[in-house]
Amino acid sequence: MAEHSNTMPGADGHAAASDHHSHGHIGRDTYYRVFAALMVLMVLTVGAWWVEGFMEIPRVLGVLVALAIASTKTVLIIYYFMHIKISNRVTQLYAVSAFIAFTILFVIVMGDYFARGWPPEIGPLP
Amino acid sequence: MATTTTTQGSEVQGHEAHADHGHAGHGRELQHHFETPQQQKEAATLGMWVFLVTELMLFGGIFMAYAVYRWAFPDIWAEAAHHLNTPLGAVNTVVLLVSSLTVALAVNAAEEGRKQRLIRLLGVTMVLGVAFLGIKAYEYSEKFAHCAGYKTPIAWATSGTPLGETECLVPGRAFVFPEAHGTTAADVHNEVTPGQGSPYQLFYLLYFISTGLHAVHMLIGLSIVGMLTFMAVRGVFTAAYSTPVEIGGLYWHLIDIIWVFLFPLFYLVH
Repeated sequence: MAEHSNTMPGADGHAAASDHHSHGHIGRDTYYRVFAALMVLMVLTVGAWWVEGFMEIPRVLGVLVALAIASTKTVLIIYYFMHIKISNRVTQLYAVSAFIAFTILFVIVMGDYFARGWPPEIGPLP
Repeated sequence: MATTTTTQGSEVQGHEAHADHGHAGHGRELQHHFETPQQQKEAATLGMWVFLVTELMLFGGIFMAYAVYRWAFPDIWAEAAHHLNTPLGAVNTVVLLVSSLTVALAVNAAEEGRKQRLIRLLGVTMVLGVAFLGIKAYEYSEKFAHCAGYKTPIAWATSGTPLGETECLVPGRAFVFPEAHGTTAADVHNEVTPGQGSPYQLFYLLYFISTGLHAVHMLIGLSIVGMLTFMAVRGVFTAAYSTPVEIGGLYWHLIDIIWVFLFPLFYLVH
């Protein structure tokens, strides 16, 4: 298959060892490391929330921090656990398309709300 | 007469030959309409991803509604979220992240054809999935117990300690947000949402809808992993064929990803 040339080898050199998987291979060590990173991020997101309880920081910043951590976790899960790293191009394209579709949904819906005036008490934009 | 017989005979032969061509020498890892096992696996994986994208858009609509209303009522969100059980939510996040690891390891075990390890890891995954649903069910029943006037679900079942204050955070006609905290910006917002008894209800409506839909996905995920365990015990999976484990794993990871967003958006709000 033509896609074979597009794939990258596994993170820790397992690709060469297993000749059954022409698309590369993600080793168990990588899974454990990704899991450790996920746990650290999980502690970080709760920690950030806890700290925000004492500190006066803009609310938007708190939301952005939480979303950034959640997005990082998502990327780790998709890239390693869901094997997007070693999938073919079409599958990678579909994984990315989900987020493009969500961005379009968000931009169009929020754009409409802002144009009509949202939050309601502020009134329509000039 | 003789000609007819010959023709029929050759037709039958032709069918058998075709059937042989399609199936002989191939197992589940290579159905006759695919050229290579790799191609078959990629087709299956791509199909699953297409489905997962539609799943993301299903939850995407709920996240969209969340964004619209949190934008409008940030103060209400901050107050309402403090009535959720954040420690239990955090524990559930850890439970799901561990289950994602066990699923990833199960897929790895399946690829290597290690049957016993695969069965064990799928079993652990199911235990973690049930634990998640158990904790979620406790959180829900806590909210329902408050509506019934008791402090905890256990108190409700045994007619124990009453709650003391009036509180009902389950959306519906009985919805009451505790008065002690409800005297701030909330009253201002009551004016701007006609027909809306309490804007706090919006938060809890979205909370119950999104975590409820997530729990339904957990139930489906659990039955998929159960099915995979059954197939693994029967020896369906080999080093050459483990696509169902891979695909089922993708579904489980999706459930995990949804929760990764639900947790900070509902439990960690200021």
